[in-house]
Amino acid sequence: MRIHCPHCGERSLDEFSYLGDAVVRPDPASPNAQEAFYTYGYERSNVAGPMQELWYHAAGCHAWLVVTRDTRTHEILEVKSAHEVALARQKVAGTAQ
Amino acid sequence: MSELANDIKKASLEASERTGLTVTHVAARRGARASLDDVARAAFGVSLPSSPKAVEARGALIVWTGPDQWLIVQKDETGRDHYAELAKTFNGLASLVDVTDSRTIFRIAASRPSETLLRNMGIDFHENSFQPGDVAITHVSHLGVIVWRLPDGTAYDFACARTYSREFADWLRKASA
Ligand SMILES: [Zn+2]
Repeated sequence: MRIHCPHCGERSLDEFSYLGDAVVRPDPASPNAQEAFYTYGYERSNVAGPMQELWYHAAGCHAWLVVTRDTRTHEILEVKSAHEVALARQKVAGTAQ
Repeated sequence: MSELANDIKKASLEASERTGLTVTHVAARRGARASLDDVARAAFGVSLPSSPKAVEARGALIVWTGPDQWLIVQKDETGRDHYAELAKTFNGLASLVDVTDSRTIFRIAASRPSETLLRNMGIDFHENSFQPGDVAITHVSHLGVIVWRLPDGTAYDFACARTYSREFADWLRKASA
C-alpha cells in the first residue's frame, strides 16, 4: 500500500502511522460532553467501504493527513492535509453561525 | 582522526562529513507565513520553498523540511553568528532552533547516485526523478534522514541525527558497496 502525501509525494506505507477514524473530536465544553466523548471513544462504526482515517507521516514531513481508504480493498481514494481539513471545517462552522 | 571520519574512510566512499556549518531549524508561527516570506525575501532574495525543494540564497541553503518548516544551512564565517542573525531577522514570525550539534550532514559528491545507492533508497532516487534542488524527508534502514540534491546538481547531502551518524555511515557503506 502506498499513500500519496500531499506534501512529499507518493511514499511507502512504512513511513506512516495509523491513528484511526477521522471523526471530529467532541467539544469538551459542550453540555453533553461526557456522552459525546463516550460515543467518540467507544461507539465507533466498523465501516465496510470508504472511510476517513487519520494517518501521520511519521518518517516524512510529520504532517497529519486525512486519508479516505476503502476498508475492503485498501484502495486510497483521497488524501488531504488534516490542517487544511480542520481550517475548512472551522470556516463552515463560522458561516453556519 | 575521529571514529566517524575513520568509518567513512574505511567505507572508501566519496562521502564526507560536512563541518564548519551552522544549521538552523525554522518553523513559521501560526498565521505568520506571509510576513515571514517578506522578511526572507528581503534577507535572502528568495521566498521560502513551500514544496520539497532546496534553494541557494546569499551563501545559505534553505531546505524545505515539512509544511512551514525549513533548515537553513550556512557556512561558518569569522565574526558572524548566523543563528543570532536569523533569530533577529525572523523575530516574532518563526520559532528557531540551532540544530548544528544535533545533525550530521554527509555529502556524496556525485552528479548522479550509484546504482546500489539508487536501489537502497525507498524513494525514487533516479537522477531524472530526484532532480537538482529536490528534497526528501524519508528513512533508510529505520534511520530518519533529510536528503537533498544541490541546486547545481554536483552533490547529494544527507542530514541525520548526530547520535545515529555512525549507523548512517555504516548504511551508506553498505548501500553504496
Ligand atoms: Zn509527507
